[in-house]
Amino acid sequence: MSIYFDNAATSFPKPEEVCEAMLQYQRELGVSSGRGAYKKALEVDGMVFKTRSLLGRLFNIKDATRIIFTSNVTESLNLALKGLIESGDHVITTHMEHNAVWRPLKVLEEERGLKLTVLSCPEGEKFNPGDLEKAISPETRLVVVNHASNVTGTLMPKEAGGICREKGVPLLVDAAQTAGVYPIDVEELKVDLLAFTGHKGLLGPTGTGGLYIAPGIDLKPLKEGGTGGESILERQPDHLPDKYEAGTPNLVGLAGLGAAVRYILDRGLENIRRHERELTQRALETFPQVPALTLYGPSSAEERVAVLSFNLGGLPPEEVSYVLDEAYHIMVRAGLHCAPKAHRCLGTVDRGTVRIGLGIFNTEEELEYLTKALKEIAVQAKS
Amino acid sequence: MLLKDVELTYVSPCLADPQKIRLKARLSDDISEVMPYLNSVVKGAIYNHHAPNISFHKEFRLITLYPTEMTMIKALNTTDAWQVIEWLKELINKTHEKKDEIEPSYERKRRPHPLQLYTWLPATNCRECGELSCIAFAVLLFSGQQKLERCKPLFTEKYREHKEVLMEMASVLGGGEDIRIHY
Repeated sequence: MSIYFDNAATSFPKPEEVCEAMLQYQRELGVSSGRGAYKKALEVDGMVFKTRSLLGRLFNIKDATRIIFTSNVTESLNLALKGLIESGDHVITTHMEHNAVWRPLKVLEEERGLKLTVLSCPEGEKFNPGDLEKAISPETRLVVVNHASNVTGTLMPKEAGGICREKGVPLLVDAAQTAGVYPIDVEELKVDLLAFTGHKGLLGPTGTGGLYIAPGIDLKPLKEGGTGGESILERQPDHLPDKYEAGTPNLVGLAGLGAAVRYILDRGLENIRRHERELTQRALETFPQVPALTLYGPSSAEERVAVLSFNLGGLPPEEVSYVLDEAYHIMVRAGLHCAPKAHRCLGTVDRGTVRIGLGIFNTEEELEYLTKALKEIAVQAKS
Repeated sequence: MLLKDVELTYVSPCLADPQKIRLKARLSDDISEVMPYLNSVVKGAIYNHHAPNISFHKEFRLITLYPTEMTMIKALNTTDAWQVIEWLKELINKTHEKKDEIEPSYERKRRPHPLQLYTWLPATNCRECGELSCIAFAVLLFSGQQKLERCKPLFTEKYREHKEVLMEMASVLGGGEDIRIHY
């Protein structure tokens, strides 16, 4: 038996319905969408729209044409950042961002003279909304924050959207760690750009993701090319989603993603959140019983999603991960998790952390087994 | 639920505007019985009880419903078309659900001619709407490419009665406004 605790990287296993939908598409349909007017092509077109529409239901997006499909959240973030930021713009972000935000911002700093303000998140706690309010200036073009950290699971302060809306600054939210496991209502959160991936909490296959673009936001496309329709035009069509969706889409992936979102809606997002919150609370209670274990981030499950980072005494995280895999068949992640700035807040930039990402198929028994394994490793390390 | 599914059967570029598409779709269930109720709730619908069919605009798109088929012209792309089809399904099913509360209408409204529209315009040729003359404005209003609201003099007290008549006439034209549904 092996136990998978790396759902923050990608969720596993996927619901059977997801695998079946992908197989059904590949075996029985298999044709392109938007590129033909025969029945099968129109059926695939309908399947792609259904996936878009289900995502709209999940995120309370009324106009599903404003959901752009991408290959992952990294592409979504690049489209939003590089499509919006112009020469000399001011952008506000936080120390807890993933490299999918951080690296495009550094490129824009170099190439377009972007001015960056970075909000601090001491010890991996959420940033102070008052700091955000103070940082916004007339030159601020965008605020970009993660909805939950991929290192500590820390949730963004709820006030962020209201502050940005009041100041008239668009808010881009990186929902890589929350889409599918935590309620997202773009109206309530006052989000202008929502970047999400299909293969983590949404339980879909890798190679899927998307970006919601609120009305009034216009981005320059990241790529140009064929859209199936309006072929006479020498430029990209203005209509959504075609403006941003050049090239044949990942249809087998979108078939799976549609089935995955339907699974989440049927199971109920509130039930998924409850299960993960209970597991997180259990981990927050039992991990401190492990000798020499240092746990990072908020102490309450209410303030985080089911992502937990820790270190075990002076042991290198890679060593802990290796022993868990070899001796206990438990899969966890070790290192900086593509978020080096976050580790500066935690004081772990020189070594990283061990990270567990809990998912809807994990159980309390599996968590107990992990705690027992960690206790044994800690004892052996001491001796 | 009266209408369970809609299957797209034909898509091609619009003849008048090749950057937009026209399409045909097959309805899984016969919707004839709901048409007089749609005629009541959809402001500006044109209903022919004897055919039967019912047409109306959703913004710039023209939709015609037949008992087991539908057509749409001037959709932006297939994603846009599917979104409108989903909305239509909801409209048809909700109207069917509420039909005991709705007075059916068998009235057959007719599209006004551009000259009839012109008769009620201020005829000032002020060009505030962006057109060269009021007659040009009337023609574009007829084809759904202009909005009544762009005629500034019409919205002054002097032309209040003309405005009311024109608003009623324009409701069947689809001048870029979103559709109005009244249950």
